[in-house]
Amino acid sequence: MTFTIVHLLPELLGTYGDRGNVEILSWRLRAREVPHEVLKIGVSDSIPTSADLYLIGGGEDDAQIAALEILGKNNLLQKVLDSGAHIFAVCAGFQILGTQFPASGDRIIQGLGLIGVETVSARHRSVGELLSRPTAPIEMLTGFENHGGQTRFLDELQPLGHVVSGIGNGQGSNVDGLVTPQIVATYMHGPAFARNPELADWILSRKLGSLPSLSAPVFNQLHDERVSKAK
Amino acid sequence: MKLRLIIGIANLFGAISRITKRGSGVMVTGRIILKMQPNAVSALSRNRKVILISGTNGKTTTTSLIFSALTVKNRVVSNYTGANLFAGLAAALSKNLSAPMAALEVDEMVMPWAIKQTNPEIVVLLNLGRDQLDRLSEVRFVAQKWKDALAELPKQCQILADADDPFVVWAALDWQNVLWFSSGALGHIDASTCPSCGIVLDWSPDGAHYSCTCGFEKPVAQWVLTGDELRGPQGQNVKVVSGIPGRAALSNAARAIVTASYFGVSLQDSSIAIAKVTSVDGRFGKLKIGNTDFRLMLSKNPASWRETLATSAAGPTCVLLVVNANTQDGKDTSWLWDVDFTPLTQRYVVVTGDRRLDVSARLTVNEIAHHVVANESAAAILLGEVEADLIASYTAFHRLAKSVTT
Ligand SMILES: [Zn+2]
Repeated sequence: MTFTIVHLLPELLGTYGDRGNVEILSWRLRAREVPHEVLKIGVSDSIPTSADLYLIGGGEDDAQIAALEILGKNNLLQKVLDSGAHIFAVCAGFQILGTQFPASGDRIIQGLGLIGVETVSARHRSVGELLSRPTAPIEMLTGFENHGGQTRFLDELQPLGHVVSGIGNGQGSNVDGLVTPQIVATYMHGPAFARNPELADWILSRKLGSLPSLSAPVFNQLHDERVSKAK
Repeated sequence: MKLRLIIGIANLFGAISRITKRGSGVMVTGRIILKMQPNAVSALSRNRKVILISGTNGKTTTTSLIFSALTVKNRVVSNYTGANLFAGLAAALSKNLSAPMAALEVDEMVMPWAIKQTNPEIVVLLNLGRDQLDRLSEVRFVAQKWKDALAELPKQCQILADADDPFVVWAALDWQNVLWFSSGALGHIDASTCPSCGIVLDWSPDGAHYSCTCGFEKPVAQWVLTGDELRGPQGQNVKVVSGIPGRAALSNAARAIVTASYFGVSLQDSSIAIAKVTSVDGRFGKLKIGNTDFRLMLSKNPASWRETLATSAAGPTCVLLVVNANTQDGKDTSWLWDVDFTPLTQRYVVVTGDRRLDVSARLTVNEIAHHVVANESAAAILLGEVEADLIASYTAFHRLAKSVTT
């Protein structure tokens, strides 16, 4: 069985090195000799609904709205979830999955509504290091956030992490991101998987089952350095 | 107080700052001038032909080359050492009051102010791309600032703008007096949506052309650089020779030749003058650390890293990367993942700087063998007696540029 990763719309949602997350997942699978493939899906490609893991990155307002239009066609992402696939969404990608998000010119854009969150415009942009204690059994999470929206849970939801420093979802929630059985979302870019090898493996193993251990000390050193600097 | 007296006082303070080694003195001089006479830039621009040069990458090099080409026939003041904010412009204009021309590099966000103050004769718009997103603005926002500012230009002003860059085109296209320049650059990493209407921009597969259903499209260029041949609207042409290596430098040299031609310098004379420039404010300067002879290069955002890596690939086998993430570098290192480091494959790569682990992680995933060391001295010990390129991010570059010998 080949594990298939789909990188959704990298030209539109790839402002913060998002392709790095895809490359890192691929590298970690390759190092373990897990057969896999990466499909880069551009704006004019048709989106497969039967892959294993879909990544959606961050981007600017116009790109976010253009991406929403493409992903909203024919309930595509709902079909993806119905087929049992998982989604990892960062920043603008996270916001698109919710019920609404803000755009320039005081516009409110209706999102895909796949998760019970809504994003509103924040008074100040959230920019800087983001450190959070994960709700999953993995090490502390470290990333860099840069977003103008704040995201509120409309339902009882599990966050990805409890914020130690930085803003995360904001709105006084003190949490970052979200975890559902099939979706993991976060405001950490940086990219998140370079700094958080355990997060990368945890997301892979949610779909693939337990993975053989992997020695790649540079990622652990980077993780520890970033955590200690952010504290 | 008379402007000449103010400049005299400001120069004195600038000299003190330089002698006491607090700085180069330029910023001090400029700040005092503006403090004592807030409209000094406007006053110092009167009766002068002013050229403004701006863009995300290549400002300093292009300004320096325009200065070199213009000085063939004219006396020119310039801020070609890169002090491109308010004080830097004031200081540059105060240098030689009898020089009838000024070639000024301007920070992208200072352009609206600079246009109002200087009544420029020509505005040279290079490119717009992402740059330190944690502290600077998104590309579209900068393009909008330019668009608004260009509407305030004096009527006779000429714009020389890059036709290959959709953001530059969108900012300049309302102006009646635009000369479009193309160096055949392909694609643009930030222009996936139309600057005009926001929908997905339609790029030709080779990246040479773009258009949108709203009518926005790549304009036909009057000045075209093909290989090293520059050709103008009347068929005039010249072989461009750049003393600075790389495709971007060649394209900036061509723009400098075009600009100087509007002030009566022949294409051939400009080309000869420009070919003599081999290093600009430390860029491509020589630097010895331990026994290693380094060639210093600056890289500060994804577009400039791509360009520098391509240029360096034609250089020596050994290369040292120095990456920091201080305020001026941008504190966010996510851009590392937007740069393809494969031009480093087959080279001997050493990495240092505050964020060497970020770089090491990036290179590891790119399958590029490399060594991580604590600082440049340790790198020089590892490299030994060889020639090597040293590619540095902003703060490391400016620290090292002070030791450049030529
Ligand atoms: Zn359009």
